[in-house]
Amino acid sequence: MRDLREGLPESRGGDEIKSVWFVLLCCRAEVITGLSEEIAMKEFMTGNHAVAHAVVLCRTPLIAAYPITPQTAIYEKLSEWEASGILKGIMMRTESEHSAMASCIAASLTGVRTFTATSSQGLALMHEMLHFAAGCRTPVVMANVNRLLAAPWGFWADQLDSLSQRDTGWIQFYCENGQEALDSVIQAYKIAEQVYLPAMVSLEAFFVSHFMEPVDVPEQEEVDRFLPAIHLPHKFDIEKPGFLVPVVSSELYRKYRHMAQTSMDSVKEVALRADLEFKEIFGRGYGIVETVMMDDAEVVIVTAGSITSTARVAVKILREKGYRVGLLKIRLFRPFPAEALQKALGGKRKIAVIDRNNSMGSGGIFCQELRAALVHSPDRPVTFSYIAGIGGTDVTPEVIQKIVFDAMGRDEPEEKPIWVMEE
Amino acid sequence: MIEIKFKGRGGQGVVVASEILGRAFFLEGKYPQCFSLFGGERRGAPVVSFLRLDEEPILLKCQIKNPDQVVLFDLSLTDEMEITRELRDGGTILINTNKKIDSFKGWREFKMGLIDARPIAREAGLGEMFNTAMLGAYARLTNLIKLETLTEAIRRMAPSRVELNIEAAEEAYQKTKIYEVKGSDSR
Repeated sequence: MRDLREGLPESRGGDEIKSVWFVLLCCRAEVITGLSEEIAMKEFMTGNHAVAHAVVLCRTPLIAAYPITPQTAIYEKLSEWEASGILKGIMMRTESEHSAMASCIAASLTGVRTFTATSSQGLALMHEMLHFAAGCRTPVVMANVNRLLAAPWGFWADQLDSLSQRDTGWIQFYCENGQEALDSVIQAYKIAEQVYLPAMVSLEAFFVSHFMEPVDVPEQEEVDRFLPAIHLPHKFDIEKPGFLVPVVSSELYRKYRHMAQTSMDSVKEVALRADLEFKEIFGRGYGIVETVMMDDAEVVIVTAGSITSTARVAVKILREKGYRVGLLKIRLFRPFPAEALQKALGGKRKIAVIDRNNSMGSGGIFCQELRAALVHSPDRPVTFSYIAGIGGTDVTPEVIQKIVFDAMGRDEPEEKPIWVMEE
Repeated sequence: MIEIKFKGRGGQGVVVASEILGRAFFLEGKYPQCFSLFGGERRGAPVVSFLRLDEEPILLKCQIKNPDQVVLFDLSLTDEMEITRELRDGGTILINTNKKIDSFKGWREFKMGLIDARPIAREAGLGEMFNTAMLGAYARLTNLIKLETLTEAIRRMAPSRVELNIEAAEEAYQKTKIYEVKGSDSR
C-alpha cells in the first residue's frame, strides 16, 4: 500500500503553515518530553490538533487529503505524526480534494477505516465524490473546518461550506469546541460503520479550529473499547481488483436510494446509543440536540457550532437579569433531528435561530430546516431567523442578548431573515 | 477571568508568545484559552492574539473587546485613544519600547510596564525574535505567572534555541520597568 504515495506531490504548504509551524514543533517537543503526570490526560491544544488526536486514537490506517490551501493544521499534525511514527497509517497526498475523496472511497471499499480533512473550497471541489461516498455506502469520516466560500476570498468562520453539502447523503455533526470535535470524530466512526454511510464532523475556523483550550485526550485502550476494529460486510480484495457502481435501471436506483434513506433514518437512534455508550466510558456526552434552561423559557435561542458556547454565557446573563430564556443546540444536522426538536420546542412561544450561514435567496439554513420540522406541530412557536457571524464576524454575548431582546419585542411573525450587522 | 490582548506585526512571534503564555497558565492549573486573528500570513501585517484565563473552563467563543491587559509588541501600530477606550479600568499595559515613561502620559491611569525587548533578544543571540523577552517582562509586570513556569512553557514550545529564549525571558524579567497608576513609580 505504501506504493500509493509514489509520484504524488510531496509538497506541504498552505495558508496556515507558518502559524502552525511553531505549534507543530512544540508538539514534537511534547512527544519527547511528555507531559507532567498530574495533567497527563489534559493538553492545551487547538481544535485542529484535537481532531488529529482522534484520528490516531481511532487507528485509522488510511488518510487521503490535499495538502495545500485550504487545508488546515489537522493534516499538518497527522503528517508530522506520520514522519515521527506516531501515526501508524499512511497518508496519501492527492492532487485535489476530489481525488482525496475518491481515494477514501476506494480504500473504504477494501474494508479499512479512512479519514480526510478539508475546508471551504476544498469541500466544494469534493462535492461530486461526496455523493459517490454515500451512494457506495462507504463509512468514510471527514473533518471539515467551516470556512467561508469565495468570492471574495477569506479564511473566516462560516457554515455555508458544509451546509451546501446537506443533500449528499452524509451524516453531519456541528461542534462547539475542540473537545467535542475530538469526541465527535470517534463517535462518527462508530455510527458510520453501523449504518454504512459517511460522516462529516464540522468545526468552525478560528473559533474552534485555531482555538487553544484544555482538551481531554482519551486513553487508547478506552477508545479501543468504544470503537472496535472495523468489519464491513462486503469488501474488495485488492489482489483481485474489481469494479463497483454499474449503470442501473430506474427501479434499481430507486431501491438503492430508498435503502440508503432507511439507513439514514436509523442514524438518530444509532447516534444516541453511541453517545450513551461514549458517556459511560469517557464521562462526556452530547446527545443529538441539547437543551439548556428550557423549562419556563419564553424565548429559546437555537444555535449550532461555536456560537452555542457563547450563547450559554448569554443565557446565564439574561437569566440573572430575570429574562426567561433557554437555549437549544443542534449537534446532528443530517439526518435532521426533527422529532427531538418538535418535542423540545413544542409549546414554546418564540424561537430565535442564529445562523452563521446564509442561503442566498432564502436565509439561514438551520432556521429553514427547523421551521420545516415544526410546521405540523399544533402548538408551534413563532420562529425568527437571525443571520449573525457571517464570514467570521464576532458573535459576543452582547450580540446574542440583542437578538433575544429583538425577538421579545416582535409580536408579528417575520418571514425574512434578520441580519445582525453589529461591528 | 482575565482577558489579555496581544498586538503586533506578522513575524514578531505574537501568536506564539500568546500560546506559550497560555501553556504556562495551563501548567499552573488554570483554564486558559487562546486564539489569534490572521488572514494570509504576511510579515509586517497587523496581528492580534487573544488570551483568556480563569479558574474554570471558559465558554466564550468570541474576540476580546475590553481587555484587562494589553501587550504591545509594536508601538507604531498603536492608537493611544483606542487603547484607552478599550482597556478596562484598572488595566495594565506592557509596551516594547526604548522610550521613557514620560512619553506615555496619556496612559498613566493604567499600570504600565516598559521593556526594551529588541536589544535583549539580540544580546541573547535571538536576532530580531523578541517575543520570549516580552513574556519575561509580562511575568514581572503582572505577577500572574511564575518565571519558572514560563521558562518551562518556553522549553516545551519554543521552536528552536530554547536556552537562548529562556535567557531572554529571564533578562527581560530583570529589566522591566514598572509604573503604578498616577505616576507613583514602584521602582
